[in-house]
Amino acid sequence: MLSVKGLRAKVGEKEILKGLDLEVGRGEVHAIMGPNGSGKSTLAHVLAGREDYRVTAGTVTFEGRDLLALTPEERAHLGLFLAFQYPVELPGVNNTYFLKAALNAIRSARGQPELDAVAFLRLMRERLKVLYLDDSLLKRPVNFGFSGGEKKRNEIFQMALLEPKLAILDETDSGLDIDVLRIVADGVNALRGLERSVILVTHYQRLLDYIEPDFVHVLAHGRIIRSGGKELALELEEKGYGWLGAEEAA
Amino acid sequence: MSAALDKGLVRWLAAAPCADAVAADWLEAQRAQARARVVDQGIPDSKAENWRYTSLTRLLAQGFVHVAEALTAVQRDDLEDLLIPGLESYRVLMVNGRFMPGLSDLHDLPDGVRIAGLAAVLKSDPDALRERLNGSVGDEQPLFAALNTAGLDDGLVILLERGARLERPIELIHLSVGMDEPRVAQPRHIIALGDCAQANLIERYLSLGDSLYCTNAVVEITLGRDAVFTHQRIQSESARAFHLSGLYLSLGAASRYQGTNVGLGASWARTDLYVRFKGEHAECDLQGLYLAGDGQLMDFHLDVDHQLPQCTSRENFSGILYGKGRAVFDGLVRVARDAQQTDAAMTNRNLLLCEGAEVDTKPQLQIHADDVKCSHGTTVGQIDPEQLFYLRSRGISAARARRLLCLGFAGEILDTLVPEALREQVAEQVGRRLEQAPLD
Ligand SMILES: Nc1ncnc2c1ncn2[C@@H]1O[C@H](COP(=O)(O)OP(=O)(O)O)[C@@H](O)[C@H]1O
Ligand SMILES: [Mg+2]
Repeated sequence: MLSVKGLRAKVGEKEILKGLDLEVGRGEVHAIMGPNGSGKSTLAHVLAGREDYRVTAGTVTFEGRDLLALTPEERAHLGLFLAFQYPVELPGVNNTYFLKAALNAIRSARGQPELDAVAFLRLMRERLKVLYLDDSLLKRPVNFGFSGGEKKRNEIFQMALLEPKLAILDETDSGLDIDVLRIVADGVNALRGLERSVILVTHYQRLLDYIEPDFVHVLAHGRIIRSGGKELALELEEKGYGWLGAEEAA
Repeated sequence: MSAALDKGLVRWLAAAPCADAVAADWLEAQRAQARARVVDQGIPDSKAENWRYTSLTRLLAQGFVHVAEALTAVQRDDLEDLLIPGLESYRVLMVNGRFMPGLSDLHDLPDGVRIAGLAAVLKSDPDALRERLNGSVGDEQPLFAALNTAGLDDGLVILLERGARLERPIELIHLSVGMDEPRVAQPRHIIALGDCAQANLIERYLSLGDSLYCTNAVVEITLGRDAVFTHQRIQSESARAFHLSGLYLSLGAASRYQGTNVGLGASWARTDLYVRFKGEHAECDLQGLYLAGDGQLMDFHLDVDHQLPQCTSRENFSGILYGKGRAVFDGLVRVARDAQQTDAAMTNRNLLLCEGAEVDTKPQLQIHADDVKCSHGTTVGQIDPEQLFYLRSRGISAARARRLLCLGFAGEILDTLVPEALREQVAEQVGRRLEQAPLD
């Protein structure tokens, strides 16, 4: 479903991704771990289509399409979703209005009829319940004045609503207490049940207690330097990144 | 002193006020004085502080003539499309600056409230207006206030006695209909609230068709002690129109004025807001939103003079500019030596969507007291690429995402509009304007 080959990307003049390969199949959960600054968020943004991150080499195919040739919205229409490490605040943009615009944009791009207000509200309520979320979030501007935890929950809520084929979660677990972590895990596991794929960018083994990954990768200095099963995460937890020669550059 | 009078100004001044506006001696004297003042002042050039950023050349080149007769062709059926669904109001209709009693709905006004046409009051009870007419404007009339006085013949009078309250807003629709010759309508509104009185006025400037005309309105507002006045002004003139309006506020002790000015229409629009505090603990909240696209100029001038202690003022204006749109925000807040404990905050934020758009923003504080809380801030920026990317990553098209962000930017000001029906209608107008804007 996703195939990344030899991906190189620059932010400004600095090369961050230096020949990265990754294969994600349908229904698989991949964890990507790695030290700070190794390029995890850069990878996530490049996949989602951020224009100021320049791809200089390599290919990415998603659902048989050349992903890099598509606009961010076209990627979303194809079923790609990024839960941001730092969700962006949109003062003055009502959350419900935003969610409805997003869902209907994706639905109409897929040739499905747009949901009317009533049907949309029903769907929202249902998804909120599944995630034990409070509907007060919906009346506020998108992420504006949200606490860190609320922002992350809002990302997961969007994911549950949009039902992507591939969700990339960029450190959605950082700074969350155990209850919120469970919500995140529930959201991911629900997608997994639908045969959707997930890339979990994470620092900690903790999240992996709730979501069992099929594969674990270590990203360092802009490449995947090691891949393995879930036992690799445990090993990393024990030994850190040093033994892989993946310490942060001083 | 007198600069050579431009032909345009001569035409403007030449046409006499409407013949049926019966003139008391004092009114005739005021008109004559105003005429003399126009001639004396002449046309301000670009060195005049008030007109530094905005040229009068285009306005005066049109050769506007004062509308001297009432236009009776407008029927009730013509108004259907102009009404705001769900807005319950006392409705006053003016066509080309003339009060139209037959098209207005002023039934069931409570005791202590008088709403009438200015011409009618000048005829039946001129003394009621003698002290009020130019009471807030004063003798030092700026050019367009003086022109308004010189041609003064109609407008609206709203008088609330002590403690009087209106449950519904007053909706004043200024409808303009183009005529063969370019005309200027010069309504004068006199609004006075007695102590503790409360009212909400919605002024809407609209047109039938895409016609060329000019509005030169002057609004004088006097609030008594503890009076509360909500004043919402929506300028949606035709795309070829010229719009001038001057607001002159006198605020009594502990009175509260909440005003929102929305500038959407007209080819050339200039609004002047003058605020004078006449008692302590008064509060004045001025909010503004303007949109300007190709060929449009939106100019707002604020002159807020804190002469007395312990008054509060807020000046919060936001603009969205695209195409070759231009805006001017010139805000002056003065705090006199004795105006201790003044609390004033002025902000002007601008969103420039295209390279060709332009804004001149000049917020100024002149503070002569030492125990005050005053601030001002101004921003001129573009749409934040991170916000745009966030929306697009959710499947929302770039153009739609930009519009959402613009509406979000405008939201802070739109949220001050009441009731809901008005807010929705204006938000929709803003949305529609943004639909037409070239945002890429
Ligand atoms: N907008 C940016 N401009 C310049 N450098 C950046 C920018 N974003 C990230 N970087 C740099 O790119 C590298 C990788 O960052 P990032 O992808 O955020 O790492 P990670 O998510 O693995 O912590 C870091 O060295 C960081 O400093
Ligand atoms: Mg990161």
